[in-house]
Amino acid sequence: MKVETKIFNFEDGIDLENGAKLSSFELIVEMYGELNEDKSNAVLLCHAFSGNHHAAGKNDEGLIGWWDQLVGPEKAIDTNKYFVVCCNNLGGCSGSSGPISINPDNGEIYGSSFPQVSVVDWVNSQKMLTDKLGISKWHFIAGGSLGGMQALQWSISYPNYVLKAGIFAAAAKSSTQNIALNEVAREAIRKDPNFLNGEYIAEGVKPKDGIKTARMLGHITYLSEENMDIRFGRKFQDAESKISGEVDFEVENYLQYKGEKFSESFDANSYIIMTKAMDNCDFAIDDDALSKSLKNVKASLLIIGFYSDWLYPPERGKEIQIAAIKENIDSSYIVLDGEQGHDSFLFRTEKYEEAIKKFIE
Amino acid sequence: MAIEISDIIENWVPNNSKVIDFGCGDGSLLQKLKTDKNILGYGVEINDKKIISCLEKGVSVIKQDIDMGLGEFESLSFDIAIMARSIQCLKEPRPALNRMLNLSKECVVTLPNLGYWRCRINLAMGRMPVTPDLPSSWHETENIHLCTINDFEKLCNDESITIKQKVFLNSNGKEGMMSSINPNLYATEGVYLLEKK
Repeated sequence: MKVETKIFNFEDGIDLENGAKLSSFELIVEMYGELNEDKSNAVLLCHAFSGNHHAAGKNDEGLIGWWDQLVGPEKAIDTNKYFVVCCNNLGGCSGSSGPISINPDNGEIYGSSFPQVSVVDWVNSQKMLTDKLGISKWHFIAGGSLGGMQALQWSISYPNYVLKAGIFAAAAKSSTQNIALNEVAREAIRKDPNFLNGEYIAEGVKPKDGIKTARMLGHITYLSEENMDIRFGRKFQDAESKISGEVDFEVENYLQYKGEKFSESFDANSYIIMTKAMDNCDFAIDDDALSKSLKNVKASLLIIGFYSDWLYPPERGKEIQIAAIKENIDSSYIVLDGEQGHDSFLFRTEKYEEAIKKFIE
Repeated sequence: MAIEISDIIENWVPNNSKVIDFGCGDGSLLQKLKTDKNILGYGVEINDKKIISCLEKGVSVIKQDIDMGLGEFESLSFDIAIMARSIQCLKEPRPALNRMLNLSKECVVTLPNLGYWRCRINLAMGRMPVTPDLPSSWHETENIHLCTINDFEKLCNDESITIKQKVFLNSNGKEGMMSSINPNLYATEGVYLLEKK
């Protein structure tokens, strides 16, 4: 698989939804496969809140991409056929402009001064990337969770630029419970003594404990109760692999390990910005408003939910489907048996792969 | 035989209409209606394999168990609803029929006729009917609510449903003379266009 990683610079900046402006910004992008002559085989992948541009294959650090199970040669999104693009979103911390970048206006690290971005801003910045790539229509735009919300936003904001959209484990808005859980995570970060109102980089520290706790909570919400039962049950952690002396059960060890690892790589301000963007995302105040926002959509939609997902349950996808039918949009809604809860959208199952493959062919 | 039924249905479906097909199977009928009548169609199906066949054909499909009610889908409206050879597979055909007629002004229903003479002979011999149209044995069949033509028309009458048009097919899948004269005995299949009174 041909992989190219590139940083695109946008000198003209971007006006953000909240009124702020970035005078210039950068997006780091991974691209797989080759763009055909008439540029009709381009696929855009949108990542979820803690994802990044590394969607497929193994990178230099040996890390497997977040959607590697579905993206690659002869996979659901076949890189032999399609030119696949994925960028790290604005406000992220994997190479695109975000809180750990230097503010070009004053030469200092943004830190907590990086403006609050939104799903609309991400889509607008991805549209600027689209223009740079010379692509006039994406064959397919897809993502799971917050990524699915971007795919939907694309269909709304730039109807002529999207042929097909895949909206997986997503919703037309974050639920009250989603917001509540995110707020607990943010509070854990804010109350870390090293957070220092978001100015920790300047002080040479990192609120690792806060990020770790936030991620541990996050992980519980991404898995289903049944899946946790099957994977860990009430098994005790063996002594040699204990991450700390306080751990008794395997599930504790797993959360400790995952949280610790994440806290080393993810930025706290970024965590707050990304979760706020998720909370703020709302295509509709009520059902009719959702239909209204879908009025101009021209893309065919494939909406997939997973039975075991309680964070963005399948019913949320169904709401999008109903609004789409009201607006006479070509749209399909299916529910699959993914066992991994909300995370199911990341994992290949035969039916999931087939559904995506047949839909985009 | 399926070809003839889909032709009859096609005659009843207006051009450019919005259609919902309950138990749409692999989406062949909707695909044909899309090509021939430029309809906007949505299939409803519970079987994942059939759903994937729909996606392959570019037919919009919704995964839903019709027996579980239509839930939020009840707020939608269509020009015409189709339930081809599915009603006899439902746990509760009567409410499903009424729900269909709430969603759309007109409905097409097709169903196999248990009153067909071969079925009657099977029963007279003391066995559950197995015919070319109802090939599965009793313990394998999906058809849990089979009825005769007369039974179905009585249900329509009881539920204040108008039968706007009907066509009866014989074992060759054609409108034969005998199946038109005495459909309850000679038709293998009834094809109905219904409307709520």
